[in-house]
Amino acid sequence: MAETLAALAHGFGVALAPINLLWGFVGVTLGTAVGVLPGVGPALTIAMLLPLTTKLEPVGAMIMFAGIYYGAMFGGSTTSILLNTPGESATIATTLEGNQMAKRGRAGPALATSAIGSFVAGTLATVALTLLAPQIVELALMFGPAEYFALMVLAFTTVAAVLGGSAARGLTSLSFGLALGLVGIDGQTGQARFAFGVPELLDGIDVVVLAVGLFAVGETLYMAAYTSRMPETLEKLAGSIWMSKRDWARSWKPWLRGTAIGFPFGTIPAGGAEIPTFLSYATERRLARERDEFGKGAIEGVAGPEAANNASSTGALVPLLTLGIPTSATAAIILSAFQQYGISPGPLLFQMQSDLVWGLIASLYIGNVILLILNLPLIGMWVKLLTIPRPLLYAGILVFATLGAYSLHQSAVDLAILYAFGLLGFAMRSFDIPVAPAIIGLILGPLAEVQFRRALAISEGDPTVFFRQPIAATVLAVAAAVVVVPFVLGLARRLKRA
Amino acid sequence: MRSRRSRQETAFAFAVVALGVGLAIGTALLPSEGGYSGIGPSFMPAMVSAGTIIVGAWLAFEALTGGWRNRSPEDPAARGEHAFLPAAFAWVSAGLLAQMALIGLAGFVLSSALLFACVARGFGSRRALRDAAIGLALALVVYFFFTRALSVNLPAGRLFGG
Repeated sequence: MAETLAALAHGFGVALAPINLLWGFVGVTLGTAVGVLPGVGPALTIAMLLPLTTKLEPVGAMIMFAGIYYGAMFGGSTTSILLNTPGESATIATTLEGNQMAKRGRAGPALATSAIGSFVAGTLATVALTLLAPQIVELALMFGPAEYFALMVLAFTTVAAVLGGSAARGLTSLSFGLALGLVGIDGQTGQARFAFGVPELLDGIDVVVLAVGLFAVGETLYMAAYTSRMPETLEKLAGSIWMSKRDWARSWKPWLRGTAIGFPFGTIPAGGAEIPTFLSYATERRLARERDEFGKGAIEGVAGPEAANNASSTGALVPLLTLGIPTSATAAIILSAFQQYGISPGPLLFQMQSDLVWGLIASLYIGNVILLILNLPLIGMWVKLLTIPRPLLYAGILVFATLGAYSLHQSAVDLAILYAFGLLGFAMRSFDIPVAPAIIGLILGPLAEVQFRRALAISEGDPTVFFRQPIAATVLAVAAAVVVVPFVLGLARRLKRA
Repeated sequence: MRSRRSRQETAFAFAVVALGVGLAIGTALLPSEGGYSGIGPSFMPAMVSAGTIIVGAWLAFEALTGGWRNRSPEDPAARGEHAFLPAAFAWVSAGLLAQMALIGLAGFVLSSALLFACVARGFGSRRALRDAAIGLALALVVYFFFTRALSVNLPAGRLFGG
């Protein structure tokens, strides 16, 4: 405990260096500015801003990412409340009451409860992260390759089974990601796989290109084809943005409950913040004294899900930092940003590069404060970004999307790959196939393969190694159950009916 | 007579199966000797191709037994969208393909301005000149920021001696 506090104090020393503080501010500003654009969620925001950090020191870059992460989430909430277009599934719950509040002239308090709730939840969740991470690191240091492989399989199956409407489509998305992960040179033997002699493919497929292709190009194609001619109403930000005494009284409990629901969900591979935000919404609806106000702009329905969203996003950093396992699309992009700097998150990182890890954790605390002091007063400026006409907005997004892909190898081949992913994203969107499992599969597939082969190398080729070690065996059994149990139950129901 | 959606779902399912078979063929061409672990570079591809074929078959099974589960409504109006606009899709695609083809020759700035104008057109803008001008200005700012401040290489274009 004392050790943790000392490490954290040291981390604050790193993060509070003026230059790093500056990167934190830049990150929050850019993250909010991009995240506020309709249709741009946190994963895409980070992916698109990645090329900007190529010149930074690892610590500065990580701190900037923390800022971008929080900024992007707050930006997404603003869009949900004022425009009724959630940038990602985690803010759908916010739109339900938030947009209704805005329609009734209460956009200000809605944004305020979202910002302050995010601050409260983000800070409490970071405290939880600070306390929990060293414990998990202790445990993870005992894990061998078999345990890591089992945990990755668990992450695959839960993300695939939980996201979207059906396990079949989630697993389809996952298999796309795993197949793309095979492309390139096999790190252990130097054998090229599925590269078809294209030099740009030998390095493997960049997660950022896949994410930008699916989220930016695919979404833009989809919106042009299906929603570009729909009328839109941007709610005005009129009146005071401050919350009344009554708003405070109605918000603080949902903030705390949202945090309590969001954080644990973030730490397990349950596919990001979609489930905890809806759970929080349902909880607030059940507990609210003014239940009939729900559906007409109840502030509890904004405060709870927003806190849950932020807490779960912070919770997702627990498995990412301590085990190197991403549990949401956003975490997958952050992992690829780490890899760009040659950093592999995991228990060893806490021992070898504690400066970086604790600097990052300290910057989460600072990022939350920056978000609060920067964004509430500047809210009017962010809202202006929402008035950019649609045609110009999406044209600009695609210019930045192609720029990021092109700058990887200075090659038009990457633009062709990006467009191909755009078409794939369009098809997946049209067929209701979630994209997050593909992104997690692409980044985690090759890592899982390494652990699998390492485990078998240690056991000299004996495959029972995965079942003889109790932790690995238990985790694999849970992973199998996640997919098989709902399938069998569905089948049983069908047979009963027939 | 099966519905349009059901035919599309079946076609998609078989495309996934075909992808799995393609992966299996590619896997068969890989060397499979492995060192201490006894498994080589072809083991994971074999697993992935098997998995892909299985989920493709699962999708086909769902498509043929009442359709994929829990889809969003087939009618665009029920999803809050309008009917598919082929022209909008084509304009965005054309912009991306044109940029891809021209970026080496005409450089980042001009090809991106063209992309910008095409995407704006796809979203219903009728002011092509204004869009091209805004696109040009944006691409110029980005070009100088990335090449000067961040030292990221972007092509000036062979036309201009780049």
